[in-house]
Amino acid sequence: MIQHFPVLAVMLLFLGAFCVEIFGSKNEGIRNTITMLAATIALVLIYALIKPVMIDGEIISYWMGNWAPVSGYAIGIGYEIDALSLFFALLVVTTFWLSGVYSLSYMANDHHLGHYYTLYLMLSGSVLGLVMTGDVFNMFVMVEIMTFASVALTAFRNENEGTLEAGFKYLVIGSMGSSFTLTGIALIYGQCHTLNMAQISAQLSCGGLTPTTVMALALIVAGFGVKSYIVPFHTPAADAYMVAPTSISMIFSGMVNKAGVYGMIRVLYIIFRVMDQSNVQMLIVLFGAVTMFIGVTMALTQHEFKRLLAFHSISQIGYVITAIGLGSALGLTSGLFHAMNHTLFKGLLFLTAGAVLYATGTTNLDKLGGLSKRMPKTTICFLIGAFSISGLPPFNGFVSKWLVYQATYTKAVESGNFVYAIVTVVALVVSVMTLASFIKVTQAVFFGQLPAELKKTKEVPAAMLVPMYIMSALCVLCGIFYPIVNKYLLYPATNAALNVTNYIDKMMGDGYAAGLGVSNIEVAPAAFSFWNPIVWLILFVVIFIAAFIVITGSKSSRGQLLQPGVKYDPKYATFFSGEEELFSQVGGSDLFWGFKTDWKGYYRVLEGLHSGIVTDYAVFTVIATAIITLCMFIFMR
Amino acid sequence: MIIVNYIASIVLIVLGLYTVCTKKNLIKVVLGLGIVDYGVNLLIVSLGFNDGGTAPIYQMSDLLNGVAPHFFVDPVPQALTLTSIVIGACVDAMALSLVIMIYRKYKSINADDVRRLHG
Repeated sequence: MIQHFPVLAVMLLFLGAFCVEIFGSKNEGIRNTITMLAATIALVLIYALIKPVMIDGEIISYWMGNWAPVSGYAIGIGYEIDALSLFFALLVVTTFWLSGVYSLSYMANDHHLGHYYTLYLMLSGSVLGLVMTGDVFNMFVMVEIMTFASVALTAFRNENEGTLEAGFKYLVIGSMGSSFTLTGIALIYGQCHTLNMAQISAQLSCGGLTPTTVMALALIVAGFGVKSYIVPFHTPAADAYMVAPTSISMIFSGMVNKAGVYGMIRVLYIIFRVMDQSNVQMLIVLFGAVTMFIGVTMALTQHEFKRLLAFHSISQIGYVITAIGLGSALGLTSGLFHAMNHTLFKGLLFLTAGAVLYATGTTNLDKLGGLSKRMPKTTICFLIGAFSISGLPPFNGFVSKWLVYQATYTKAVESGNFVYAIVTVVALVVSVMTLASFIKVTQAVFFGQLPAELKKTKEVPAAMLVPMYIMSALCVLCGIFYPIVNKYLLYPATNAALNVTNYIDKMMGDGYAAGLGVSNIEVAPAAFSFWNPIVWLILFVVIFIAAFIVITGSKSSRGQLLQPGVKYDPKYATFFSGEEELFSQVGGSDLFWGFKTDWKGYYRVLEGLHSGIVTDYAVFTVIATAIITLCMFIFMR
Repeated sequence: MIIVNYIASIVLIVLGLYTVCTKKNLIKVVLGLGIVDYGVNLLIVSLGFNDGGTAPIYQMSDLLNGVAPHFFVDPVPQALTLTSIVIGACVDAMALSLVIMIYRKYKSINADDVRRLHG
């Protein structure tokens, strides 16, 4: 019975997509009922798998049309749900269900909603199928449906500024990525004559790496790099997240780029199993480190709420990629945990951005301000999200970022490689910059002066607040009850990624892997020291109070008189005193102007690169793919 | 398994990527994506080809007994190519419709003019 659940969940979503288009394009009630029914049943079906897969440690396999393997050859299309798949499937169903609930009121004033819900269900179904399939070509098809639906949804509000452009860029870069993936899959098929992941994994590990498989690996990694938007493939993401309807931005950052991360893990750890090679580790970690740094520095200069969140999304994916690139159990655990937390807090932040857009009609940081008085509930949700992403204890972001630091530093100590220590420092600095840019957003949107034209702003309807509450609660709970999350979600998923034998045997029959000489990679079960976020919170409070007493007690900290006769521009004064300065509004772009001035050269280069011209972005994609391919050919053994 | 096909497919993929990277006209960019697709399709369909092979109608026992294991053309790549062609056609149609709408809005299909989102 239970083995039918995954495929039913995927089929229901696609069936729902058709039914919405046929029956619900005119009638709002039927449309919403079908959409929420499909989404809710899919949610329940996937949650029902937690007990057998996560707790009892089963692996669920399903052959479409019962085409089971004959004589050790997989013929049919198989679905295989191990703990890693289920981990991502849980993220996917949670995200799209909450996004669906939010859409009901957020999108209510738009036209052509039948198409919106059709595409929404297609996107949900394709990502769910992508994380649960056991067949590489099926994976490619799901990737294509995902890209297709994403593009259409990006350009959905096509009367708005920039939507068509963003959709087109997404389409060009996305389908280049898909083509790379397909070429890689074709090469694997040429080598192994099978499309089943389990069988490919078994055959590749006994045959060793040939030039064909190295090429295939490089192309598939590049393809999934495009889907997870690591730098320099990230350019369409910033545009798409910004202009898509917010409920869709949440889906993009919560599950579409997680699908790319899942693909990377599946390919690197399970299909090719190359993560024990130090050069591959270094390549992935460097891509991750560059991604997190460029993402956060670009975010600091943005004037647009959702575009800023988009760059943060890219930056946080950098953490995930860095962590999974370490190749250790600790690294993988921290990467998965951060992926999960990113889904939660970034979804929450996008929802609050959507609430601001819904209530005020703009997301321009320079035009907003003082909304905390008008939208107190949204403000609290936003603060929880901002604290989580900045890594303050006891929120979830703190735990997973701490694990990432610990994983990279442990790696540096173990391998004696200095680069990993630098990566740890970069991760710390990026976290500080994340906090800085969220201070900017908080100040520019929720605190400060309320502009006159926003005086009549009202809190958003309850149907939009409920998803935000759920997300906020999850952010706090995952931070505090971290050991439970680790025990029931992260540890099984990490184990599933590192122990391939069970995965192969379940699909191809017992003893298949052993017959081909596949053995499990030695894995120490995610052994990390235990800590308690509450203790850290108390420690931080104590340090803060001590620092406060020391600083306010000393003379040098008191205010200094302005020099007479010198005209200060109050905009650029750090602390204000006096009448004129007291009422001057600090816009979102005014904070950190000093930092931006200091880094002028860096920003000039970076903004030049983000030129907005689609062919430039295509050039980045091709160059990065060429680099990945070259590195793999030179350094892989 | 014909070497000419492999070379041709690589040439097509590279030409397509070159078109996407260098041409500023958005329609040419879409054409470039199409050419990459055709190159990949040619690669896949060539992978399963056997010179002089027959239709893939056989029994498992024939294969296992070693009665000419390569006497037929592999059907799987053809199915993959068919799927890939359909997907490629959809992507092209969607890209072109986006270009039409971009032209209506921006009055230009030069990539240098379609850059309101940048930085």
